[in-house]
Amino acid sequence: MNMPGKLTLCLAFLLTAPSLAASDTVLTLSGAISDEEIKFTRDDLLGMSQQQLVTATTVTDGRSTFEGFLVRDLLEAHEADGEVVIARALNDYQIEIPISDFERFDVIGALSMDGVPLSPRDKGPIWIVYPRDDHPELQDIRYDTRWVWQLVSLHVQ
Amino acid sequence: MTDVILTRQSPGWAQYAPFLPVLVVFLGSLAFALAKSSALERDMRIAATQNMLWVVSQTQMEAHALALAVAQQDRDESHIEQRFDLTISRLDLLGRGPQARYLEQIGHLQTVNDITAALLELDPQIHGHGDQQHQALFDLTAGLHPQINRIANDVMIEDWNKAAARLDAYRSTQRLVIFAVMAAFLAALAISWLLLRKQNQLHFADVQNLRAAKLLEQERDVALMYRDFAAIVSHQLRTPLSLIDSALHRLERKGDSVTAEDVVERRAVVSDAIGRLTRLSDTVLLLARLDNEQLQADFAVLDMRHVVQSAVAEAQSRHPDRNLLVSCADGSLRAKGDFHLVGHIIDNLLSNALKFSDADRPVELRVFQQGNSVACAITDQGDGIDARDQPHLFDRYFRGKTHKEGAGLGLALAQALAELQGGQISFETWPGKGSVFTLWLPVA
Repeated sequence: MNMPGKLTLCLAFLLTAPSLAASDTVLTLSGAISDEEIKFTRDDLLGMSQQQLVTATTVTDGRSTFEGFLVRDLLEAHEADGEVVIARALNDYQIEIPISDFERFDVIGALSMDGVPLSPRDKGPIWIVYPRDDHPELQDIRYDTRWVWQLVSLHVQ
Repeated sequence: MTDVILTRQSPGWAQYAPFLPVLVVFLGSLAFALAKSSALERDMRIAATQNMLWVVSQTQMEAHALALAVAQQDRDESHIEQRFDLTISRLDLLGRGPQARYLEQIGHLQTVNDITAALLELDPQIHGHGDQQHQALFDLTAGLHPQINRIANDVMIEDWNKAAARLDAYRSTQRLVIFAVMAAFLAALAISWLLLRKQNQLHFADVQNLRAAKLLEQERDVALMYRDFAAIVSHQLRTPLSLIDSALHRLERKGDSVTAEDVVERRAVVSDAIGRLTRLSDTVLLLARLDNEQLQADFAVLDMRHVVQSAVAEAQSRHPDRNLLVSCADGSLRAKGDFHLVGHIIDNLLSNALKFSDADRPVELRVFQQGNSVACAITDQGDGIDARDQPHLFDRYFRGKTHKEGAGLGLALAQALAELQGGQISFETWPGKGSVFTLWLPVA
């Protein structure tokens, strides 16, 4: 791929990246929590304490800086009481994640990558990111499958 | 000076020289096997990237879903936009990082970039929604099907080729590892063998040294023994000889006035002296044969009553005025032993009992069986044995503090003969009252 092509593509992304309205729900939390169902906007999530995480991923090159909320914080704030969280993505990808993962590791719901907000046109608006580089045990396909892109809901059970 | 130090040190280093190459082989092979195995271990992790086929099929599916969304009669614009975003996100994933490199390898990166660019030209968030717009989106996405299918096809072939190449690499690595482990094993065997040989050499040298030391000690003992032997035996020989000599001198001095009585008296002295000489030479001969391992017991079933009685009869003839009491228990009293050797032992014990007790005191012999042994106990009523002498009673050339006569050979020989026949001599003593010496022989 030639450089001008790449530049054009990047520009195209910048120009066309859909802007989320402040009122849009980006994440739904349900199941064994304080309320029946809680909807979050991107601003709600940005309002939480933000954590930075630098790590490589299996689908990108080099180490990237991710920023977002600790999944642990979100679950604690809404009194999640269960063993697992069923994470679902925009395309209906679904996986069970043990809650112990969030206790053992600083797993974040990343809202931006390298300073650029994640978008539904890449892996956003939320990408579950594990501190892969800090824990060799996380460098395993069984954990890779828990890195849910385009996360839309978490169901505690 | 330096030379001396060097020559003294070099054997120390030299003895480890054969280990060095083997050790290098051993450690080298192990390190190699370890490195190869760990590389294999790292390579065996499955990366999500390697699931290219899944990513391509997801793209295919999203493009298809987008085509369906725009083709629907009652079009939901937000649904179309979501489908559009998802399709773009999959194409974005394909066009980045490891996925992009993969596609470049199989010559499809440009295709993916072209599709992405073409799709973004029709972005409904910029160009809005309308029949024409939707028709264009439908035409484009429906037309993507064969292109993405082509990519999926090539990805699959590439994946299989890579998997096969990977398995080939695993196999050859495994062969190398097996070979390295075998080499390490052989090296370990060689090291063990070298160590063992070294140890054997050292052990052999130790044994040689020990043997030499033992021989030296034996030689010293022998020298010492001959010295003692010569001193004591010559003294013991001289005593009866001088008795004979003086008896003959007396007869000579008396000349014609020798009476028959004188002759009988001197004859008794001479015969006693000859008896002592005979027994001494017997003892010395037996000892010599024992020391040279030439003495072999001629085992037979002995009736101990008979053996004791014949010994007593002989002693009685030498000491007609002594009181010898014999008592035998009931039963067979048969022992296994050599008639002459057992006789010699009893004779020795009996002579000692007679020698070390007063003439008016009886000496008692009791024959009995106890357990698997037949015993012959000889009791005297002498002074007993000094406590300091007791531990050395059976030592060769040992003579008691109070009784200094004798060669110090009798009891040592008696004990050695008893042991030669599977038996032993024990004793008990009561100072001022007397002693019991008991010969134990195995029951026949």
